[in-house]
Amino acid sequence: MEAYLLNLGILISIYSILGVTLNFIMGYAGIYSLAHAVFFGVGAYAGTFMAMHYNASIFVTLPVAMAAGAFLSLILALPALRVRGEYFVAASLGLQVLAVTIFSEWKSVTGGIGGLIGIPPLDVAGFEVFKPSQFIFVTVGALIIILFIINRLVHSSFGRSLRAIRDSESAAAAFGKNVPLIKTISVVISSALTAVAGVLYASYLSFINVESFKLDTSVLIMAMVIIGGTGTQSGPIVGAALLLLLPSLISYMDFLPQTEIGSIQQIIYGLGMALLMIYRPGGIVGRKKQSETGKE
Amino acid sequence: MVASSADTQDVLMEIRNVDKAFGGVKAVDNVSMDLRAGIITTLVGPNGAGKTTLFNLITGELSKDSGSIKWLGNPINKIKPFQASRAGILRTFQDLRLFNEMSVEDNILTSVENNSVPIPLTKSQRTARREKVEHALNRAGLFSKRKVRAKDLAYAERKFLSMARVMATDARLWLLDEPASGLDPNSYEKFLEILRDEVKQGVTVCIIEHNLDIVIGISDRIAFLDRGKLLADGEPQSILDDPELRAIYFGERT
Ligand SMILES: Nc1ncnc2c1ncn2[C@@H]1O[C@H](COP(=O)(O)OP(=O)(O)O)[C@@H](O)[C@H]1O
Ligand SMILES: [Mg+2]
Repeated sequence: MEAYLLNLGILISIYSILGVTLNFIMGYAGIYSLAHAVFFGVGAYAGTFMAMHYNASIFVTLPVAMAAGAFLSLILALPALRVRGEYFVAASLGLQVLAVTIFSEWKSVTGGIGGLIGIPPLDVAGFEVFKPSQFIFVTVGALIIILFIINRLVHSSFGRSLRAIRDSESAAAAFGKNVPLIKTISVVISSALTAVAGVLYASYLSFINVESFKLDTSVLIMAMVIIGGTGTQSGPIVGAALLLLLPSLISYMDFLPQTEIGSIQQIIYGLGMALLMIYRPGGIVGRKKQSETGKE
Repeated sequence: MVASSADTQDVLMEIRNVDKAFGGVKAVDNVSMDLRAGIITTLVGPNGAGKTTLFNLITGELSKDSGSIKWLGNPINKIKPFQASRAGILRTFQDLRLFNEMSVEDNILTSVENNSVPIPLTKSQRTARREKVEHALNRAGLFSKRKVRAKDLAYAERKFLSMARVMATDARLWLLDEPASGLDPNSYEKFLEILRDEVKQGVTVCIIEHNLDIVIGISDRIAFLDRGKLLADGEPQSILDDPELRAIYFGERT
């Protein structure tokens, strides 16, 4: 039981990092990305590559993974953010599809469809972390540091610029905001931090393959953010916890026909989402009701 | 009257032969005019005359089909809106475009910040910024509402917030797109007072306005646009007394 809870806690903190980093661009800059799992994957593969071939120290794996995530996101952001917002969604979807092909085919780095096994444990300043009871401190610590960084950004002039761009791009530009540049910087920061989750995930499982980094993961992360509360601080964490806990909660309800559990889970998800969007469009943590006085 | 050299030095912005067509419609048709320093130039003309489009061409929101614009003597033909803002040209929008989910205070704060890279400010920069914001809040009568989200403000308050965003900056030229429309008499008295004050302090204003009382009350110069063409540009009295212009102006509205 304890092992089970630890495992859940580790996964929740890793997915919370994914949610928090996606929320940074979605909730504050209004940039909707369907490629978040790609940067998760790039972090995992880049960190693993360094750990297996060079050095497993997090002072090597994390910077390399973050740089790889940042660089790839730049390739996406530079062309896609010069045009209007909606194109970014399409471009990110394209990147997601392309990335899955590359993850499956680039055998020397990703191990192809079969993936990579025997990934070394995290090396934190010479100390090897692989026991779940220790690992959870690393993932929760990483989550806290990332929350802190994002919180600082959101409450700085940079964060105000992001929110201004989200609310009115043309007015933001009219008040001196270099909109494409600011959006690009936010995507690069988000992607670099996302890659951290990839490194942690790979070394925790000591095994990765492309299945973890597909479109359904990107959609799941987006669902976590929306359900928890887009543009709120704790929303993405609440969303991550809820969506990871639900399957286990449902499997504990032994009055349900166990053979149909998969479809029952889908129905509960779908129904829950629909009800939430009707009664709490801002998400669980978000504002109860949209203001009605706003008029333009 | 012969233009003196002092006159030409006073020109902040020089607009020459500017054209813009949307499909077959010439929204701005060969417009040339000057915006002179330290005065209020009012753009008048019926709906669809091209007034807002002219603002959009000045700030680079839209690109000109042809013609040229100079700012402080330098061509700004390829300028982007964020560069126009940094060069000291600020505008309001006819449809306001407030940062709706942000507080009144943050709306103004972000308007005076134009750094793209997340770099922390020094203490003195922070104080200077705070003072500008508070000044604008007080001036616009929004101090008590500073924590309220922009979308939760009443109509007149929203109009004043749109002005406050501009007021807080160090811009030399304000392009105001119908900032007084829909205001009650009390509010627009207050609005006029703010405008006169700011002009006294050295700001140059180009304002789009329909209300004749306001036009007479504030204009140092009037430019009259109709169907994209600049029909007249000069002293308020000469424009307002011209029977042909009056016919166009009032014809549209009755
Ligand atoms: N972005 C645009 N696309 C197409 N037509 C436009 C656009 N902006 C303005 N127009 C047209 O240009 C003309 C002038 O519009 P506008 O400048 O808004 O007039 P005004 O501000 O004087 O009321 C109108 O016929 C309007 O429909
Ligand atoms: Mg207009």
